[in-house]
Order: sequence, then C-alpha cells, then structure tokens
Amino acid sequence: MKWYILKRVLWTFVAMWIALTLTFGLISASPNPGQMRATMSCAAVGENPQECREQFRERNNLDQPVTERYKNYMVNMVTLNWGWSESRSQYVIPAILDAWRFTAQYAIPVLVISTLVGYGLGLYSAYKPYTVTDYTASFVGFFGISIPNFWFALVLIILLGTRVELVPTYYQSGIPIQQGWLSLANLRQLILPVTVLLTASLAWQMRYSRAQALEQMNAEFVKVAKAKGASQYRLMIWHVLRMAAVPLSTSFVGSLLAIFWSGSVIIEQIFAIPGLGLMTYTAIVEQDTPLVLATTLVTVFLAIFGNLLEDIAYVILDPRIDYGNR
Amino acid sequence: MATQRETDVTARTDRETFEEVDWDTQEVSTFNVSRTAVAELLAYGAIVVLFAYDYAVIRNEHPLIANWDVLSVEWLFVATLVAVFFHGVVPLYRNPRMREFYWSRFVKNRVAVAALVYLLVVFVIGIVGPAVMSPPETRFTNRIVPPVGITATVGGVVKTGTWQFPLGTTAEGKGVLKLIVYGMRVSMEVGLIGTVFTVLIGSVVGSLAALATALDIGWLDEVLMRYVDVQSVFPTFMLLLLLTYLFGSELWMIILLFGFFSWEGIARTVRGEALQRSSEAYVTAARASGASMLYIVQRHLIPNSANSIVIGATVAIPGFILGEASLAFLGFSDPTTFSWGRTISAGQSNLATAWWISTFPGIFLFFTVLSFYYVGEAMRDAMDPRQQIEGGGGL
Repeated sequence: MKWYILKRVLWTFVAMWIALTLTFGLISASPNPGQMRATMSCAAVGENPQECREQFRERNNLDQPVTERYKNYMVNMVTLNWGWSESRSQYVIPAILDAWRFTAQYAIPVLVISTLVGYGLGLYSAYKPYTVTDYTASFVGFFGISIPNFWFALVLIILLGTRVELVPTYYQSGIPIQQGWLSLANLRQLILPVTVLLTASLAWQMRYSRAQALEQMNAEFVKVAKAKGASQYRLMIWHVLRMAAVPLSTSFVGSLLAIFWSGSVIIEQIFAIPGLGLMTYTAIVEQDTPLVLATTLVTVFLAIFGNLLEDIAYVILDPRIDYGNR
Repeated sequence: MATQRETDVTARTDRETFEEVDWDTQEVSTFNVSRTAVAELLAYGAIVVLFAYDYAVIRNEHPLIANWDVLSVEWLFVATLVAVFFHGVVPLYRNPRMREFYWSRFVKNRVAVAALVYLLVVFVIGIVGPAVMSPPETRFTNRIVPPVGITATVGGVVKTGTWQFPLGTTAEGKGVLKLIVYGMRVSMEVGLIGTVFTVLIGSVVGSLAALATALDIGWLDEVLMRYVDVQSVFPTFMLLLLLTYLFGSELWMIILLFGFFSWEGIARTVRGEALQRSSEAYVTAARASGASMLYIVQRHLIPNSANSIVIGATVAIPGFILGEASLAFLGFSDPTTFSWGRTISAGQSNLATAWWISTFPGIFLFFTVLSFYYVGEAMRDAMDPRQQIEGGGGL
C-alpha cells in the first residue's frame, strides 16, 4: 500500500509536468494576441510593422529557440514566477491570491452542504426505494441537474431581486472588505449564488450516492451483517455508506471541479463576484495570456491533486482492493 | 463474390480431404460487408460528394437545394442522422422481439414516455421550423414587445403584446418564438452530433484498450488509459473556453470540441465491459480463426457493450446541450447561431423590464434537458436485466 501511494504521488508530478508541457504547446501554437496588438499599434502610427514585430518578439524572448523558451517557461513555473497580468496591472500570483477568497466563500459552503445533504438523501432514498419519498427525491434530483444554472440564476434575480427586492441582484465586493466576510450583508448577497450552485451539485451527489448505495444494498456482506443482527443505522452507515463511498469519492472531486469551473465562471459573471471564475473569464476575453495560463494551471493542479486524494481514499476505504501488483 | 468462393470450396472438398489441404494457400477473408453496411457507406459517400460539390463547385454562389444553403454543421447533422438511422432504427426494426421487450419495459415509466413525445416534437419542429420560417431579423422598430396579451412598461412606454410576436421580442426586435424554434435545431444538432462523435471515439478507444490487454499488448492499454486519465483531469470547460476563443466559435467547431474532449467516460465503461467479454470463448475462437483486431472490436466487443454505450450516450446528450448553452450564454459562440443560451444572455440586460426574453428559451432548454435525462433513465431501467421495473418509475 505504501508503494502504491508513493507511485501515485510520483505520477502526480508526471501529470503536472504533462499539463505544463501541453499548456506550453497550446500557447506556442496559438496566435499571440500581444504580438498582433503591438504590430497593429505600430501600423496605426505609421511605423514599420515588421520592425515592431521583431522588437516585440525580442522583448518577450520569442526570438529564442523553442527548447530555450521551454526551459525558461518551466523554470518560471516551478519558481512561481508566473508573469505579469496586463489586464489587471498586477503580478499573476497576487491576483490569484486576491481572487480565491471570493470563490472559496461560496464554493466551500456549497461543497459541504451538498455533500452532507446529498449523501444523506441518497442513502435514505436507497434505503427505501420506490416509495413516495424516493420518487420525490428523484424528481428533485432530476430538477437540479437539468435546470441550466445561468437561467436559474436569472429567474431567481427576476423573482427575488427585482420583483420582491429580498436579496441584492449583484455582488458588491466592497462589503466583505469593509464589514468582514461573515457580516450579515455579505451573507445576504451570497444567498442567490449559493442557492443556484447548490441545486446542481446537491442533485448530482444525491443521484450518485443513491445509485451506489443501491448497488451495495444487496451485497453479500450486507446480508451477513443483517443476519448477524446489525441495527439499520449501523448497516447503512458502517457497511453500505463505507462501500458506497469508494466510488463516490469520484463524484466528490468531480463536483468540486464542476463548481469551480463551469459553475464559478457563470455564477461570478452573472453576480459580478470578483473571484477566480470571473478572473478566468476576463483573462480570456481580454487575451491576457499569463493570466489565462495561470487560471488554467490552477484548475489542472487542483484536479490532479484531487485525483491523488481520491485514489488514496480508495485504498483506505475498500479493504478488498489489492494494490500489491501495481 | 461470396457465391463464387462457396463453389470454389465445394469443388475443392470434392477432390481433397481435410488433411491434404495446404492451409497456407487458403485465404479466408474476414472482410464481410452486409447490404445495410453498403447502403450506409453509400449514404455517407453521397453526403461527402454533395459537400465537395457545394464547397468546390457552387462556392456559396447559390443555395444547394432549392433555397436551402446547407451550413457546415448541417452536413454533420445529416451524417449523424444517417448514423443514428443505421445503428439505432434499423437494428430495432429488424429485431421485433428485442424491440417489443424493451418497449414494454420502457412504457412502464409514464413520465419518460411523455418526455420522449416532447423530444420528438422538439426534434420535428427543429427540423421543419427553420425550413419554413425566415430567420429572426434585427428590427429596431419592434424593440422589446411583450408577449401576447401582456402589458408592460418598457422605457416609459406602455406596450401590449400582439399575435405578431406571440412570445414578445428582444432588445434587437427579434421574435422570441422564432429564436426558440431556431434554437431547437441548434440544441438537437449539438446533442446528437456531439454524442455520435463521443460514442465513436469512446467505444473504439475503450474496446481497443481492452483487446490490447487480452492480446498481451499491455503497453497500448496503459498508454490509452493514461491518456484518458489526463483528459478526464483536464478541466474541459476551461479548455473549451480557451479553444473557442483562440480558434473561432462556429457551431460545428464547438460541437466537435465537445465530441473530442468528452469521450473518456464512455471509453472507461466500454473498456470495463469489453475486458470481461474479451476473455470469453467466442473472442478466442475469432482470434484462432485469424480475425483481425479491428474485426473483433467491430463484430464482437462493441455490439456486446451496446447497452452501456447507449446509457452513456443518453447522459452525454443533455450534458452537451447544457454545455453549448452555457458557452453561448458567456458569449463564446457565433452571433449567427440562434442558440437558446445566446437568447437567454440577450435578456440579461433587460431583466427588470423584459422578463420574457430570458424566461421562455430557458423553459424550453430546461425541459429538453430534463426530458433527455428522464428518457435516459427509463432506457437504462429497460436495458438493465437486473432491474425490477415497477410502475411509476422515477416519479
């Protein structure tokens, strides 16, 4: 098992290296917006565009051979020298450090609530399948995964924001800084983003855990435990949940990433929350290459790290998996 | 060809006994094409020829057929429909026992039947609607008209909706109903084309990986599945944002990107299924008779994993539709594509006064995605022999 974990950690580094290399390839292969801008602005003031292009390439070390650029890029990445963001007039690392709290303040509650409630409902549904409760839970689950989160957000803004004026329709980033992150005003403006994200992730966790628990309900070890007189509570928590949690950890990492990326870009764009999602969006729209690179890599590293944790959880949770030969 | 070979074989067996046959000189072709496969290939061929004609000869000077100027995405859509016809409709038609068995299990889920009917309606309107309706046009004289029978104050002017625009208009004066009808086609195209690509790549990679293990070419399996790992870790949505921004956002490109970057789930399922199958006797027999790798994959491994492929595909369709709508909502789509996501985003700036612009397309998007999930769930129940089906199923 130790060997397996060690190998898994080594693979994490290999995967990070692959991700860095792929991103480098993608950036090198795609047209360089900065260069086009420089050439165009030169042409606009009547200078020779060719010359400006050369100057730009020289300034950004683009005239060096690919191997040299690759080496520099790797060194910069490893030493956390991730470059300067034009659109924010800020170094990339401090920009990320500024933004992540705005994302974490809603992502963490969503993750915790959806996991606890989602697993609870899923297990309960599996425990009493084909009852009214199960059907209701199943309908809620379908509702949650089908409703487009951007549309749901807009509908909630129309109903609760503009009609009743119960909650603010957009996020004011000054509030957490002036009044504190846990102030009532800040929590109030987080109600809508959290609700929107919660519907989708709760539904996923619930449907997934129900399916997994149903698979385990008829397993031999559950029958044995039942025959030995285990209480229903012990049966569900100790036997079914533990085994169902093995494949479930996949959905955990998956939903974390779903929230972080497609979810956060959309939600932050709608509610104007200055977090990582909005930063990604503006970086892409304003063609701020270092920032695009940084936000992509942060996601990828999070995903790789999540997968590592998930695989280690497998070994700990399921005693039947034998990793001796891997 | 086939009959000639048969007569050859009979003629030979008259002369030689089994032991006398020089087996090295015998060639048994595993290349076996049925009449449906020929028809399917001919259909694809016709599409390619027409596409080449449209692209090279006409060069957009006039529409190809009557006044239908076929767009790139529509070529793909036609090819997709051909593929669905030959691999979905034809096998079901040919095998009435299987069809009736699945259908009798499927109809037990009433909600799913209703969902299927809804999807068929959306599909038909999506195909026919844009053919008979002119595309929505920007008309500033019709800016922000409320739906029929509804009175709203827009920019200080009180307006009441008329039958000219039953669901109102957008800030650009486009009819919301027309946008919805055009959006139906877009959604169906995204869901079906993307899924066909996903299924194609996923099942080939998955079964190749399984077969490689069975044939002791472990490294191939390792390479393929490690790649699948990397792809599943890569944040697809981010990648799509990046790629559509860098390389353009035409609908066919978005769809192909979806198809090429989301097959890892199907590949994993098929690999798991095929791994079980490839150790079975009929695969050993096929290999012993000299069947090629491709033949085994195509004839034995993929058909036997069909159930899990279908289940994977039904989950993929709504995912793609939602994904495309999200991209369009964020503005990463071609302005000439009338995606529901784009219409919803167009209403975002007038939420307080013109609620109908975002609301109606969203309702259709929601019910389309919901229906696909319900149909998928009912299909899974129908195809999974372990599942006991009880009335109501799901609701």
